[in-house]
Amino acid sequence: MKLAYYPGCVAQESGRELDLSTRWVCRTLGIELVEFPKFSCCGSGFIDEANEVLNVAINARNLAIAEAAGLDLMTICSTCQGMLSLAQHRMLDSTVRAKVDAALRPLGIDYRGSAKVTHLLRVLVEGIGLDAIRAKVRRPLSGLKVGAFYGCHLLRPSDETGWESGEEPHSFEDLLSALGAEPVQYRGRVLCCGFPIQFVKPETAGRIAGRQILDAKHHGAEAMATPCPLCHTSLDAYQGPAGKLVGERLDMPVFHLPQLVGLALGASPQEMGLARHLVPTEAALARVPTPGR
Amino acid sequence: MPSDTVPVAFDVYRYQPGRDAAPRYQRYTLDLSPHTPVLTGLLRIRDEVDPSLGLRYSCRSAICGSCAMRINSKSRLACETPVGEELQRHGRIVVEPMANQPVVRDLVVDQAPFWQEYRGIEPHLRVDPRRPMPEGKPNPMTPAEVDRFHDTPRCIACAACYSACPAVADDPAFPGPMALAKLYRFVVDPRDAARQDRLVRIQTEGLWLCLRCHLCTEACPKDVRPSERIRDLKEMAIAAQGATEHGSRHAVGFKTNLRDAGVLNEMKLVRQTYGLLGMLPQLPHGLKIWRKKPEVARRPHPIEGREELEGIYRALDSEDGK
Repeated sequence: MKLAYYPGCVAQESGRELDLSTRWVCRTLGIELVEFPKFSCCGSGFIDEANEVLNVAINARNLAIAEAAGLDLMTICSTCQGMLSLAQHRMLDSTVRAKVDAALRPLGIDYRGSAKVTHLLRVLVEGIGLDAIRAKVRRPLSGLKVGAFYGCHLLRPSDETGWESGEEPHSFEDLLSALGAEPVQYRGRVLCCGFPIQFVKPETAGRIAGRQILDAKHHGAEAMATPCPLCHTSLDAYQGPAGKLVGERLDMPVFHLPQLVGLALGASPQEMGLARHLVPTEAALARVPTPGR
Repeated sequence: MPSDTVPVAFDVYRYQPGRDAAPRYQRYTLDLSPHTPVLTGLLRIRDEVDPSLGLRYSCRSAICGSCAMRINSKSRLACETPVGEELQRHGRIVVEPMANQPVVRDLVVDQAPFWQEYRGIEPHLRVDPRRPMPEGKPNPMTPAEVDRFHDTPRCIACAACYSACPAVADDPAFPGPMALAKLYRFVVDPRDAARQDRLVRIQTEGLWLCLRCHLCTEACPKDVRPSERIRDLKEMAIAAQGATEHGSRHAVGFKTNLRDAGVLNEMKLVRQTYGLLGMLPQLPHGLKIWRKKPEVARRPHPIEGREELEGIYRALDSEDGK
């Protein structure tokens, strides 16, 4: 399997452990990632607020880069996934399309709308398949109760992102089960992490993040996992302030999705960059039996 | 009894503040066709099993918006939610009152906060003197003008969006999706004189607290798509007044930031949003993050083909170069 790799900004900077673990997992599972140094940031929903058509054009350019190479595009961030899908959707509107084409064509960029945008989660569940992953597990995450946290833009608006139910998704839990972990069901898994207003009103953002972590915790989660580095920032990097805002010590380790996959497939914590997290992951991993080899 | 019925169990939230010590869930089981709306089931419970059950409803046809409630956690109209679909999707039917509004009794909530937010946006035309209402005649709009807000009047004020909204739940300063979608409707109405006032006011009255989580758009039974109208308001507010708030400064900062290198410069964006002095309160926790993730303070490596991005900005961003 060969895909255009769209890492997004955060995974190349403060969330490097996500890029690191993605590459490890893809290498191990035989997914060839083709890199394009021309890819720009997706605008993260913020440029969309300032200028809708500009945001579509920036992402149409990203899509056109993958199209020119005849590849589908793989994201590792719910927000990147949402923004690229949104651009595809808005390009179906002839007025938007005309404005964007008029800006792109003189630059020699031809958007056709032929590349698919897919997230690592979907590549693993549908492209590789749960059985194939299960067969490669060397260190089952047995006994680890994990709360999956999807990230809004992977699920909604469901008529634009359109993969699985935005209300009752299960791909992430299915993957966790295949890794040997015990997925925890809680309402917060499909709700918001608070990140979009982290810089508008940190107190509100923190309360929202804290509420979701508490929800996972009250349902028995010993760790959380997310397919989105922005959710990871809210849930891990800002967990300290979030705990103070909800008046409880949270102590919830939060993994990036490929980190858990990598650990189950035999990667070391160092290879997954776990030391870069703000909330330590050791206690959660200590629950997982080491393979008797 | 018709043969296509199945036993359907409802777990219904029961609570009367002041009388009950705490909320509880009561189970009622009825034989129903899978096509039966949840509302019909609840009315049969009230009429045939337990007359003490409190619920609000009227038209039973998804027109009046009275029967919004949470069914398996999702805020929606009970009259258009078939029991069979819920059972198939969730394996159970848990019925609770809407969130973000105080419970009066069982499934009935006090909608005062919702209506107060609606009144707060002045949901009526302030007639533009340059386009006066003709005496005794309608004030016509062109089809193109009407098209700009043809979907917002579909709102039936059921409050499902308000119930679903996490910003409403955690911040009283946020007016909620319905009020903002209605505000949009007046802002783009060509007969309204208050456009500028409305946009300037809303910048400081909660517009930027929307989380873009789209839970309102999913909850809306009439496809009003409030989250998208809120996005429109944000862009119009920036155009009307410039970036005056943290939210708008962050959006505009992100836009200019990306033009520089094609990728985000995280530290620079924080400065663009808060200004140098405003960054100070962020510093202690920022340092904790920096110790683990030193890249937050680094200038990122620019992408290749930046001149293409510059071309796109020149063509599509009227603020470009300012």
